[in-house]
Amino acid sequence: MDFLRAKTALLSCDMDILPQLLINALITGSIYALASAGLALCYGVLRILNFAHGHLMMTGVYLFYLFSVTLGLALLPAALSTALAVAAVGAVSFTVFVRPFTRHNPVLPLVTTLALSTVLESSVAMAFGVNVKSLNTEMVSSLEIYGIFITPLQIGIIISALLLLGLTGLVIHFTPAGRTLRALAENEEAAQSLGIGSDRIRFLVFLISALMAAYAGIMLGYETNLQPTMGNSYTIKAFAAMVLGGLGNIWGTVAGAYLLGLVENLSIGLDFGGYSLPAGYRDAFAFMAILLMLLVRPSGLFRRAARRL
Amino acid sequence: MSFLQALLTNEYYIHLVILICIYALLAQSFNLTFGLGKSFNLAHIASYAIGAYTTAILAVDQSRSPLPCMFWSLVLSGVFALTIAIIAIRLSEDYFAIGTLAFSALITALLVNWKSLTRGVLGIPGIPRPEFSFFESQTFYDNFNFLGLAATVLIVVELLLLGIFSSPYARALRAQAEFEQGALAIGHNARVLRTISFVLASAIAGLAGSLFAYYINYIDPSSFSLTEMVFIITIVVLGRPGSFWGVNGAAAFLVLLPEPLRQFDLPPSILGPMRQLIYALILFGVVFLNRNKLWPRLRRI
Repeated sequence: MDFLRAKTALLSCDMDILPQLLINALITGSIYALASAGLALCYGVLRILNFAHGHLMMTGVYLFYLFSVTLGLALLPAALSTALAVAAVGAVSFTVFVRPFTRHNPVLPLVTTLALSTVLESSVAMAFGVNVKSLNTEMVSSLEIYGIFITPLQIGIIISALLLLGLTGLVIHFTPAGRTLRALAENEEAAQSLGIGSDRIRFLVFLISALMAAYAGIMLGYETNLQPTMGNSYTIKAFAAMVLGGLGNIWGTVAGAYLLGLVENLSIGLDFGGYSLPAGYRDAFAFMAILLMLLVRPSGLFRRAARRL
Repeated sequence: MSFLQALLTNEYYIHLVILICIYALLAQSFNLTFGLGKSFNLAHIASYAIGAYTTAILAVDQSRSPLPCMFWSLVLSGVFALTIAIIAIRLSEDYFAIGTLAFSALITALLVNWKSLTRGVLGIPGIPRPEFSFFESQTFYDNFNFLGLAATVLIVVELLLLGIFSSPYARALRAQAEFEQGALAIGHNARVLRTISFVLASAIAGLAGSLFAYYINYIDPSSFSLTEMVFIITIVVLGRPGSFWGVNGAAAFLVLLPEPLRQFDLPPSILGPMRQLIYALILFGVVFLNRNKLWPRLRRI
């Protein structure tokens, strides 16, 4: 009965904000999808759970802040310099913090990427200070389309996420390089016995994953404020998307990311018969999702035997 | 002796020794799960937080006396570890790390958002120093006396842990960490062994949290972040996981290590991150140098 009453309440008073919430969910989901796709790719091919993934996002957006706001470069040069800088950070991270440990016990990369996350966070805090920063220097006006408010940038986020994810899909499923990745993800030992899977491929995958993280970070930077401590909660959100989709299953992870965005926005935005959740609990959904999935279905929502990418 | 006297009359040195006691408790309990059992339990810091908040809430809002506060800190942290065990004990390394990280983040979210209980990011100020009825002459408002309390707790817990570390239980825990099927084959239940280690470690971390709350008088969610967890991991890894005395030594060494930085008059906004950076680099360096022997390569049948 309570459920029915809640549902009628939802229908009667929230119908008008529902489209807005769905669009917001799409925006959030796009950012999460970009962030977690890189993590899933990295896990699928390298078998490394990167605890510093959210911190790579944070580093990316701070570097973009450095080039675009502090140094005042135009958008394109700033973006290119950020990409180069992030690639450098990713390359150092991989060669120093990941590669020496891959052939040893799987606990080692967990510890070293955790150390990497602290290194990134404290370095950014020392370089930029711990105070909140913002990429938005002027107020951005929203467009109104059928009663839905959205900024041009948010439309850009949604479309660029779809384009980038589509491109990733094309590369993975329709190119020789993608076939290598799929082979590595499916059965590493068999792939290696056929001579597939050099260190260079792992290096490139890590680099692409870092660049995707940085792109997601910059998109996020336009939506929220920048803080050196922001990385951790996005690492966990990316993990949540990955656990929802199944560890290493990249498309499951992308679906999980959009689902997480949807759940976060709907549960905070709608009021359930006079009771609405405080916005502060928004982040807690990712944590709850992880725990729930680990309890009832650790293999992810979309279980498929043997195929990972 | 006079050197020791000089050391212990300086307020600041006393402060450092109390911190060493608290971190030794935290690290030694993490050593039980991570060093012996090789479970990468990232929710250890959440047990510490639960202990600290239990004591703070009971002592401030309900003005309970110290013994019940410490008791409930111990018990609630232990119960928290049981709930972790129910969900996470059967998971493999990667999933286990994700699950315990989620637990830890969930506790942080509760500390920040459950304002009626925890007062959110503002934290709980004015936690009184403990007063025991059988110690009427002693007041623990004096840091020297508080050091006595912290050292007593540390010594009791360490004696207990020393017993555990050399017991058949510890050997079984090491065995299941190194070669689970082998341990199962000789009749050890690996999940039960690990659950016991979680509950024990978490209860000790809760006790450390209780001491921390009493000592600092003010707690807020920022004291229980993941960077604090990295510090505990650093202590255990530097002291060699599974080594009882090594972890004690590493706790003392790492608490004292950033002290020379104070000479340079750096602002706190630089000093804090710099300490974290030093600890993270030490963690990385130790793991890098010992990557062949820190954890033996997984055995395959």
